[in-house]
Amino acid sequence: MIKIENLHKSFGELEVLKGIDYEIHEKQVVCVIGPSGSGKSTFLRCINLLEDITDGAIYIEKVKVNDPKTNINEIRAEVGMVFQQFNLFPHMNIIENVIMAPMQIRKMSRANAEALAHELLKKVGLDSKAYNYPEQLSGGQQQRVAIARALAMKPKAILFDEPTSALDPEMVKEVLEVMKNLALEGMTMIVVTHEMGFAREVGDRVVFMDGGYIVEEGTPDELFGNPRNDRTKAFLGKVL
Amino acid sequence: MDLLNLQWEVIWNYRDMFIRGVGITLLLTLAGYCGGIVLGLMLGLGQVSTKKWIYWPCKIYVDLVRGTPMLVQLLIIHLALFPTIFGHSLGYLASGITTLVLNCAAYNAEIFRAGIQSIAKGQMEAARSLGLTHGQAMRKVILPQALRRMIPPLGNEFIALLKDSSLVMVIAAPDILYASKVIAGATFRPWEPYLFAAFLYLILTYTATKIIAFIEKRYSNSYIPRKAKGRLAR
Repeated sequence: MIKIENLHKSFGELEVLKGIDYEIHEKQVVCVIGPSGSGKSTFLRCINLLEDITDGAIYIEKVKVNDPKTNINEIRAEVGMVFQQFNLFPHMNIIENVIMAPMQIRKMSRANAEALAHELLKKVGLDSKAYNYPEQLSGGQQQRVAIARALAMKPKAILFDEPTSALDPEMVKEVLEVMKNLALEGMTMIVVTHEMGFAREVGDRVVFMDGGYIVEEGTPDELFGNPRNDRTKAFLGKVL
Repeated sequence: MDLLNLQWEVIWNYRDMFIRGVGITLLLTLAGYCGGIVLGLMLGLGQVSTKKWIYWPCKIYVDLVRGTPMLVQLLIIHLALFPTIFGHSLGYLASGITTLVLNCAAYNAEIFRAGIQSIAKGQMEAARSLGLTHGQAMRKVILPQALRRMIPPLGNEFIALLKDSSLVMVIAAPDILYASKVIAGATFRPWEPYLFAAFLYLILTYTATKIIAFIEKRYSNSYIPRKAKGRLAR
């Protein structure tokens, strides 16, 4: 469903991604792990072109994302994203955060958008907070709203950029729980994460990145149980 | 005060000129400010554009206007630009308002630029990741947040403009200061008319300060509307 070919990304002189080839199939949950600075967040941000790519190609359902003729806004509407810092819109209450994009882009009526929003907020366990503002919510609650906001566009896939890294430990679980349920429903997900437990339990594939390359990839059992590459072994030895 | 022998009845005798002066000062300031907001917003957005052909003209305009005295701009527009374009002077209102709009816009552009750039990058990214265009993201996400932060500096700019509008005296626009000058000349009494002009400007700026403080208070600190806050408290 998402195909990445020979992806290179440089920030000025610094080459962060040095040729990534990967394919994500429908309904797959792919967890991307690796040390800081390995390029995993940049990799994720290239998929919906939040970073312009230096070389290579990305296809989402056969449409070349980095083609100048492609309308990137249409692609982004189909691929949700959840950020480390949540990035809820602080001037809107929770339900407005969720309905804004469906109304703006899908031209959904307010009534329909609100019905959808309530349904999604129930799903993430926060319908009671629909009329609160982001600053009144805890980090874990904000991140669950951010997931509902992404879901409101009915995306074909969701990109998660270290969704639990900015959370207090006791809030990590509630967010992972919501993500796990999404995975069980068959959502296609790419998750950059430091939560090895989540990668192991929920991931269909695990990708280990280091130094701008995909060093190793496989099922969680293969990668965690029997890593072949020395760098993978060293990394897992430190984090597990 | 005996030394100066102030005769305040001079002001009363010429009250019509002062009333008109206040009207002209307010007209010039409000027109200049409103135009300056609209044009300033466009210039400010231009200055955060990634397109070079939009960025550079905006940036150069703002630097040119901020780098030259308003008095010089006023005289160029009134005595050179308009007569050259139209073949005759367009009068003090056209020249005065044009100058104030063009000048105020340059200062407001900097306020808009700084306000927009002060909003965390993640806000734009979140909006774009949902599929919003750059323009939609600006309208729905960035500007509503940035505008709150711009209220104090935009208020300062209004007060600065109110005072700077007195420069139009040199093209014989009958504002507060011009009235004082005429009265001082006619009565050979400089103290009363000029002191009274200062007093009038003080009243106007003080009133404006109070209104701005009220707006600031209403929109500062929290995004949560007071009625929602009340609901929470209970």
